[in-house]
Amino acid sequence: MPLKTSDLVVATDSLNKAYQLGDVEVEVLKGITFKVARGEFVAICGPSGSGKTTLLNIISGIDRTTSGKIIVLGEDLTVQDENFLADFRCNHVGFVFQSYNLVSTLTVAENVAFPMEWSRKPEEEVETRVAELLETVGLQHRANHFPAQLSGGEQQRVAFARALANDPELILADEPTGNLDTKNGQKITQMLRTLKANGKTVIVATHDPELMQLADRTVCLEDGRIASLNE
Amino acid sequence: MSKAAFPVNDLVRRRLQTSLTVVTLTLSVASTLFLLLFSRRIGLGITSAGNALTYGLSAVFSQFLLFIGVLIFAVGAVITSFIVFLIMKQRTRDFGLIKAAGCPNGLVFGYFMTELLTVTFLGCVSGVALGFAADFAATSMFQFQAYQATPDLWLAPLVFAAFFVLALIFGTKPMLDAAKVSPIKALSPVQYFGLTTGNKLKPLSRAGLTLKIASRSLFRRQSASVRIVILLSTVFVLLTVSISGGVIANNTSRSWVENAIGSNVVAIAHESMGVQYTQLLAKFSGATENGDFNYLNAELAVPDILLDELEAIQGIETVDARLILKAHIREVSNFTIDPETLATLPVGGSREGDSLIVGVDPQKVTATWSIKGRFLNAEETGEAVIGDSISQTMFSPDPQAGIHFSDPLSQGIRLQNGSFSIVGVCIDPINNGKVAYVSIEKLQNLTGISNANIVLVKLDPAADRSALLAQIKNEVNGVNSAFSVFELEEVLQENLDFLGSVWLTVMFLPLFTLMSAALCLIGYTMLAVEEQRQEFAVLRAMGAKPKTVVTILAVQGLIVLFSSVAVGISLGVIITLMILMPQPLVTSFIIIEIAGWLLAALVGMFLMSLWPAVRFAKKPILKILS
Ligand SMILES: Nc1ncnc2c1ncn2[C@@H]1O[C@H](COP(=O)(O)OP(=O)(O)O)[C@@H](O)[C@H]1O
Ligand SMILES: [Mg+2]
Repeated sequence: MPLKTSDLVVATDSLNKAYQLGDVEVEVLKGITFKVARGEFVAICGPSGSGKTTLLNIISGIDRTTSGKIIVLGEDLTVQDENFLADFRCNHVGFVFQSYNLVSTLTVAENVAFPMEWSRKPEEEVETRVAELLETVGLQHRANHFPAQLSGGEQQRVAFARALANDPELILADEPTGNLDTKNGQKITQMLRTLKANGKTVIVATHDPELMQLADRTVCLEDGRIASLNE
Repeated sequence: MSKAAFPVNDLVRRRLQTSLTVVTLTLSVASTLFLLLFSRRIGLGITSAGNALTYGLSAVFSQFLLFIGVLIFAVGAVITSFIVFLIMKQRTRDFGLIKAAGCPNGLVFGYFMTELLTVTFLGCVSGVALGFAADFAATSMFQFQAYQATPDLWLAPLVFAAFFVLALIFGTKPMLDAAKVSPIKALSPVQYFGLTTGNKLKPLSRAGLTLKIASRSLFRRQSASVRIVILLSTVFVLLTVSISGGVIANNTSRSWVENAIGSNVVAIAHESMGVQYTQLLAKFSGATENGDFNYLNAELAVPDILLDELEAIQGIETVDARLILKAHIREVSNFTIDPETLATLPVGGSREGDSLIVGVDPQKVTATWSIKGRFLNAEETGEAVIGDSISQTMFSPDPQAGIHFSDPLSQGIRLQNGSFSIVGVCIDPINNGKVAYVSIEKLQNLTGISNANIVLVKLDPAADRSALLAQIKNEVNGVNSAFSVFELEEVLQENLDFLGSVWLTVMFLPLFTLMSAALCLIGYTMLAVEEQRQEFAVLRAMGAKPKTVVTILAVQGLIVLFSSVAVGISLGVIITLMILMPQPLVTSFIIIEIAGWLLAALVGMFLMSLWPAVRFAKKPILKILS
């Protein structure tokens, strides 16, 4: 199901997000308007609590806006139901969480495979693709291990392989190197570099200077607003 | 935060879990108490008071109630231990968190102990209240007015104490375990499953994936999973025994009563005798007959000419003339030789009692009784068949009276100057089974009464009933206008309805248990949701639909249910076959009926267990993750 073709992968207009905490309404995103073109590599920076994760969640369709517009890959996400969003996330967006979030009851191979199985790929295709992805992240020898048996860096690489499983047009990563040591961080940076070279659209929330260097453009958030746009 | 305020606030905050636990406890306490109260009224009560049913039937009830009672107590115990285990298991994490925050062990233990005590106390108190209410409702709702008496109040503290102690023991165990766990461990969700076999990459099909997540999660929750399977197996044993045993016993006892009264039978007698006879039959369902009735009154004598005329009517199959009276009878003892010592041993004693005596022509009876032994022989006038209640009160061993052996079939009865040897024991609702059938000829000789005092007539079912009845009434009126025709269908129906309502009430018990088991299954699903919430949120974030989450939880529920059903139903069938009464009535319809009930219970429990899953799947992903 190819979505509407357009040069814009993400387009938001005065996007707002507020959480209700008891009687208090906490505004987390305030009038975010920005665009990401096809093939762009965008870094989102900003202090902790500035709304980076919230913004990525909304772009991926995991979370919903309070008001404002958001169009991703030509789809207006504000009008879609849960089942549509599930398919959308499964087939068109690859998401890497800050805390890896692997499914603890599934092995490494199964963790990489399940998004493909939901998009009804034939079994042989799933098998070859899983092998290929695990090789890319250098974990083919860990295929039958459970997440709890892996280190943080290894888990993050599995999470990357999983995000790429359905060959999504848009890849979102939330501080992918934030919890890792330099060596593991560099492996992740290398993977993102390859994605960029392959012409994927990538949005990364990060403080990592190396990752920001890689970006075509950096968007800085401060207190829920766009503070500055570089390059 | 004061010491007492924390546990109370905590319970209120976890409203759903708390009320689930309290309700489940309430139901198991209530069903156990109800059973004890009710069985004392109906089963045991009848046996000793002997004011309704017959001995044989109340024995069947008592046996069932006793058995179901044991099972219900077992189920109640398992359920109680499970539910407190569940609520405390869910608190392991909180326990660790509070400890990690620097709260001393003793204080944490105190908090959770207060919670456990509060929940257990609430559950047991409301259980006792509900148990009495159910007993009151059952007694006044159906036709049990005959059994209304003050309930045995002493049962309440007994049941209360038993369950309270049980809940405390089982609830404290996971709490002690949790107290030993280090805060780090309580906080970390790390779990090991070992390695899957083989090194070949083998991603699964979609259905396989669901099954894999489901079964591995069941395995991870091992202790809870094993407990819920044990619990549900016990419940299904109980359900199988009570439903199949109940349905079979109900149908069998109905057919006993039906056959003893006879279908398509009308009675013809003097107005007062007819009323007396109907009341004797209805005594089974709680009616009382006239105690001073004079059966030998000359007015009651059925004229021979009436018998002749009835014989002549087309469409009448049998004319069963009977002489009925009340008399004092005495037990006739016998001797037997001990095969080892060759000593002579007395069988029975010389007990006495009042009984209804019915003289019949053995060749012309309208009924077919359920009999141990055989019915009267036409050639032999010195035989008697006694009702099961007489057999129980006058012909069973009574060591206190020095009677160590007794067997009605090798003994006899004495009536005035005549003696009869007993050839059979029958089940008959008339006069609550306190009856003896003898040859009418011999009874007439003994009493000097030469006529019958009632005639039972069996109508040809193919004949035009109303025309036939009109003809009979006409003949009867022509002979003696003080005589009337009494249709027995109504009494029969009353007795059958009574039996039906007794069984219906007995069926209340498994229903109670089923409900508490369903609540436990809901509790188990809630535990699953709680433990797997992170996992489900990830699945959802990666593109799983809410439906997929429900499916995984449903598969877990099904695995648990089916393993319990397999164990429970097979054990239940074995037990049913073992404790079933002699001569059970089993038709294919009855088997379908039993299977239908069990299936309904299964489906009902499954659907109920889905409720927390569906509720959970509807939540937004970020709500789940947070
Ligand atoms: N579910 C929630 N409920 C209430 N407030 C939230 C929730 N999620 C995030 N927030 C708040 O929104 C703000 C932005 O959070 P987040 O997007 O995670 O920031 P960042 O990723 O830049 O550190 C924070 O102040 C956080 O406390
Ligand atoms: Mg963040």
